[in-house]
Amino acid sequence: MNLSVLTDYLPDWLAPSVATFCLHLLVVFLLLSRWESSDSDRVIQARKITPEIINAKLVSIDEFRAKPAPKAPPKQPARTQPAAPKKQAAPSKPAPAPQSKPAAQKKPAETRRSEPAAAPAKEPEPQLDANALAELSRRQLSESMAAESAAEVAVTAEEMAASYAALIQRAVIGYWSRPPSARNGMEVLLSVQLIPSGDVISVSVVKSSGNAAFDRSAINAVERAGSFPELKNLPIREFEKSFRRFRLLFRPEDLRY
Amino acid sequence: MQEQLSLLDLVINASFVVQLVMLLLLMASVISWYMIVQRVIYFRNSRDDMLAFEEQFWSGIDLAELYREGNERASEGGVILGMESIFRSGFKEFSRLAQQSDMDAEAVVEGARRAMRVATLREEERLEQNLPFLASVGSTSPYIGLFGTVWGIMHSFRGLANATQATLATVAPGISEALIATAMGLFAAIPAVMAYNRFAARVDVFENRYDTFVDEFSSILYRQAYALRSRNRKS
Repeated sequence: MNLSVLTDYLPDWLAPSVATFCLHLLVVFLLLSRWESSDSDRVIQARKITPEIINAKLVSIDEFRAKPAPKAPPKQPARTQPAAPKKQAAPSKPAPAPQSKPAAQKKPAETRRSEPAAAPAKEPEPQLDANALAELSRRQLSESMAAESAAEVAVTAEEMAASYAALIQRAVIGYWSRPPSARNGMEVLLSVQLIPSGDVISVSVVKSSGNAAFDRSAINAVERAGSFPELKNLPIREFEKSFRRFRLLFRPEDLRY
Repeated sequence: MQEQLSLLDLVINASFVVQLVMLLLLMASVISWYMIVQRVIYFRNSRDDMLAFEEQFWSGIDLAELYREGNERASEGGVILGMESIFRSGFKEFSRLAQQSDMDAEAVVEGARRAMRVATLREEERLEQNLPFLASVGSTSPYIGLFGTVWGIMHSFRGLANATQATLATVAPGISEALIATAMGLFAAIPAVMAYNRFAARVDVFENRYDTFVDEFSSILYRQAYALRSRNRKS
């Protein structure tokens, strides 16, 4: 309604052409803006060799996998050990036997088998109590364990990324032979693209140092490094976040002149 | 040095034929969108006019009065379209024929009907304006886009024949650039087809309403014509 009132005062061709123009402009803008790469890549500095951090956490992938393991061990003794006291109690009290079984199984698990024989000997009513208590404490324990392991994962993921960054840095520096024209204070920023197998698929200069030979040496270093097979161990999400595309900064500071 | 191909670069570096195809498709898209918006506005206006006129017509107003109102509006420079123009052409013809006393009622109404049919056809023509263009954009632009793509891919493969080492990277930019043509063709075609279908359905609705109105109005004219003739015969 409002629009028709508006269009009464405007020439016939104006509204359609403005709408058409805006629509195409919007589409072009969306296409162009989506195709540009984001600048939030990780920057790894290839400044000097820092062996302290390297490989310190490289084996942390096993730690990573062992995450569900702590839950399993407490159950195993529960299944095997209390079997003996249960069998003793069963013939004397046939009726509460099915009820006592779970209690006997769970309680020792939490109390670390402090009194394995005491549980089957109790009356059905306190047993229910104990059952509920065991259930409660078990749930609390598993919850706290889950939270703990989640925190651990976050920390290790960050640390792992850092350690792999150090690994890449060391590998690249190993292949880096600087030209005689390199000077302190020169820096070249490269953009490197990896695939999940750790192979380098493209290297390009983002910010040149102004010295072609120096730029060339940095690109050569990455190309000769070729691949970082250790990255295969990295979880794929972590890889996508930090290493699919990252920047490498080359800056010699240890030169004498 | 960008590690990712930018869309703009792809379009600029495309071969001449592909660029031509893209330009054609862009123009088709722009024109069809212009027409879509224009049609939407036109249909909404004529629907509003039609509803307003129908309400006025059936409110029991004297038809001669209604005709005179229209005359005033036309003399002020307003354009009378849609159902009202059908009414006016029918009414004008009817009053002109009714003045000739030697014509019988049948002939008078038949004449008015014929005039209204002509006006209806003219209105329909006006409603269907630009729809053929939308239909042809909708049906041909995917093919035009496909042609651009095939041409571009042909070229990039021919370039591959000269290369000693064929990798995906040597053909990928060419194919990517060629596929833009298909994307543009689809971008032009999809709205055009949807708009065409929708507008065709709305034109049908309008036609039905106009036909119904012509029948209703001619039955009123019959009644008036017979009353007029019988009064003439008596006097």
